[in-house]
Amino acid sequence: MIDLFKRLFKVAFAEWKLFYTDPAAVLLLVVAGVLYAFYYPTPYMNQTASKIPVAVVDLDKTVMSRDLTQMSAAAQQIDVRYVFSDIREAEEAMANEKIYGFMVIPQDMEKTLRNGGKTNVNVFTHGAYVMLHGNIGTAFTTCALTVGATTKVKRIALGKKVPAAKAIAMRDPIPISVQTMYNNTGSYSNYVVPSVLVLILQQTLVIGICILGGARAHRKFRKLQRDSSVENELMPYRYFGRSLAYFLHYCSFILFYHFVVYNVFDFPRRGEILPMVAFAIVFLFSVINFGMVLSQVFLRRETSMQLFLYMSIPILFLSNFSWPTELIPAWMKGFSCLLPSTFAIPAWLAIEQRGADIYDAASLLLPLAMQAVFYLLLGLVLTNLRDGSKLETGDM
Amino acid sequence: MFLAFFRAFKKIYISHNIVLWLVLLILPVATSTFMVDFFSAETIQHVPIGILKQDRSLLADDIEMALRADPVLSVEMVCEERSECEHAVVRGDLQGFIVLPYDMERRALRLEAPVTPVYSSGQNYLTNTFAVKEIRSVISTIGANQFTKQMDDPIHVELKSVGNNSGNYQGFLGLGLVTAIFHLAGILAAVYLFSFPFRDHRVREFLAAAGNSRMVLGAATFLPMVAILWLSMMAVYAYAHRALAPMTFDEFIMVSAGQLAMLLACSGAGAAFVGITGNMRMSTSVAGVIAGPAFAFAGQTFPVMAMPFAVRCFAFLLPLTHVLKVQSTMLLGSVGKAHAWESIVVLLFMALFWHLLGARLLFLRWKEALVKEADWEAREKLKLKDKIKSAAEAIASDLSVRKAIASDIALRRQR
Repeated sequence: MIDLFKRLFKVAFAEWKLFYTDPAAVLLLVVAGVLYAFYYPTPYMNQTASKIPVAVVDLDKTVMSRDLTQMSAAAQQIDVRYVFSDIREAEEAMANEKIYGFMVIPQDMEKTLRNGGKTNVNVFTHGAYVMLHGNIGTAFTTCALTVGATTKVKRIALGKKVPAAKAIAMRDPIPISVQTMYNNTGSYSNYVVPSVLVLILQQTLVIGICILGGARAHRKFRKLQRDSSVENELMPYRYFGRSLAYFLHYCSFILFYHFVVYNVFDFPRRGEILPMVAFAIVFLFSVINFGMVLSQVFLRRETSMQLFLYMSIPILFLSNFSWPTELIPAWMKGFSCLLPSTFAIPAWLAIEQRGADIYDAASLLLPLAMQAVFYLLLGLVLTNLRDGSKLETGDM
Repeated sequence: MFLAFFRAFKKIYISHNIVLWLVLLILPVATSTFMVDFFSAETIQHVPIGILKQDRSLLADDIEMALRADPVLSVEMVCEERSECEHAVVRGDLQGFIVLPYDMERRALRLEAPVTPVYSSGQNYLTNTFAVKEIRSVISTIGANQFTKQMDDPIHVELKSVGNNSGNYQGFLGLGLVTAIFHLAGILAAVYLFSFPFRDHRVREFLAAAGNSRMVLGAATFLPMVAILWLSMMAVYAYAHRALAPMTFDEFIMVSAGQLAMLLACSGAGAAFVGITGNMRMSTSVAGVIAGPAFAFAGQTFPVMAMPFAVRCFAFLLPLTHVLKVQSTMLLGSVGKAHAWESIVVLLFMALFWHLLGARLLFLRWKEALVKEADWEAREKLKLKDKIKSAAEAIASDLSVRKAIASDIALRRQR
């Protein structure tokens, strides 16, 4: 038994040493995990997009339209930079990216409203910017509807002959109060970055494993140690020994993200120890075995990098962190079940961002555990097959 | 010269393995089409929410029915207790829940304005914003029907997204992602094509095919690459754009010019990375670090103006930022054309800079590689000669040993 562990740790230690001595491995398994964790969140350091430059096209030019403009100028999300009297000026400013949206106050708005009529206020946003569309729309709509609500309350009070307080209650008898549970500030970084961190762990680990040839024996790029006993241990020792090295190495990354990256970027850390440990074990074993399977496919070390760089965007979106699962085409949903991140990203968000306990996390970790077992069996079979085939091409 | 160009083209593109075509054509087209189809539902619908009905009244039933009938929302759970809904939000099964409080109907009818709490997860920013907006609209409509059914709102607000009226996500994100994927492809394919002769020690062979002209080899490497990427990008872009209003001929010309300029800039950058690092692995890593997360920096999801100053500078250096600007100004119709040209000019300057730098560095690297490969071949020949010599010596010594043994045996027999 002692001999078994000795051999296992010997393989693990030799592989771990390789993470720091092989230039390609250092870049992927050491540098990339740290670099990306700080590089990726930097665009979102200001967390929210506030004071977005906008304009108001005032075709009414009355007290009410000026009130509406002032109310818009006071909104936190937007900054009314220009007040135009012609819609074409606003279009020109939007094309020039001086503004990202504008509100058109129609001619005779005040007159129509005072005469008891209805009017339309149009809000135009730049069609290419998803986030600005929402922010500008919300700000202008709130202001316009507030003016509308005031008018309506007056009409109710006069029409039904009730006091103003009652008229307010009659206009909106069931007011709602929105409580945001986990992202109070509406921070964009808090929304995107935690998911991306899990993806960074997965992608660097999978590409790293592929670059180091998984559990193969007799790796060509290990010129001097190619025929050493550690390099050519029995297959199960090689497979589990190297997996152990990856596991321990990436456990340190999870700790680094939890204690350092989350602190630096001020993300909420609600993760409890037990679910975090369970997540680390299940997630890393799933990804390691996934990498061990894929590593048997490539003939050259850098090919995995070239191919996986393309995959990052689809893999991130398949994890449903931004788009409801029900809206994804069925075949894509099926395909996504093959990827550890599909289950790992929701599990990480539930545990670390929303403080899920082990019972809540169990349902999310179970599919990951099943993946780990599936890829383990497949990895063992493929490594065995690959050991038997002597390929002359490539550097693996 | 043309013959040399075609010989080099054949050598690079035809007699090569599948990886080149994966990097150059198959993966960019497949992943970008995948992303377009990913948003085939076009708008956010069926956001899962829960209801906690503490009030068992007709008004509460009306609200539940209205929420169930709303296409944006999907009532997945009617909770018995608040904790049930809370745990579902923690697990990610629900994006939020509504508490219809005790005595809601009674208090509403007595004009006490009972507050209805809506708990939103907030984690999924965009989806949650949509869901909350929809819940607010549904509940206020039901509320308004109680007392002021005949009284319309005096101001009606129409929110229009210019160039993407229906708020279609294929238009919002799909088009941007297609461009981001081809931006990455432009750099990666250039890195692959310019670095594999170094990796395989075949620079002499490729130069020979190009009639020993480095200019011809450079042109035969990057021109077909840019042409293939440009045509495939336009095809996927057109496929993605079908969800929006059709482009006019002028707009099409502007967008495709911008995309061509971006691909030229990207291929130049890829060539320069190979020239700087001198090997495929390092240059692929550099390309990955720069182009991999480029979409996050390019301002389509999170606006560039809200980024820190240093990041804004970095975003300016990315070709993707400028081509996205061309595409977005084209959504505004004819008014955006003049501004699109400014971005195309920036892209063309970028392409010129990267190509000059790449060409200079690669010419040096090729020259160096020619000497190295000649040395390497000479060394290999020498090694082979040494091997043959030592093998011959070993055979000769083995023969002489055998002869000695044979003569020794013969002598012993004679004795």
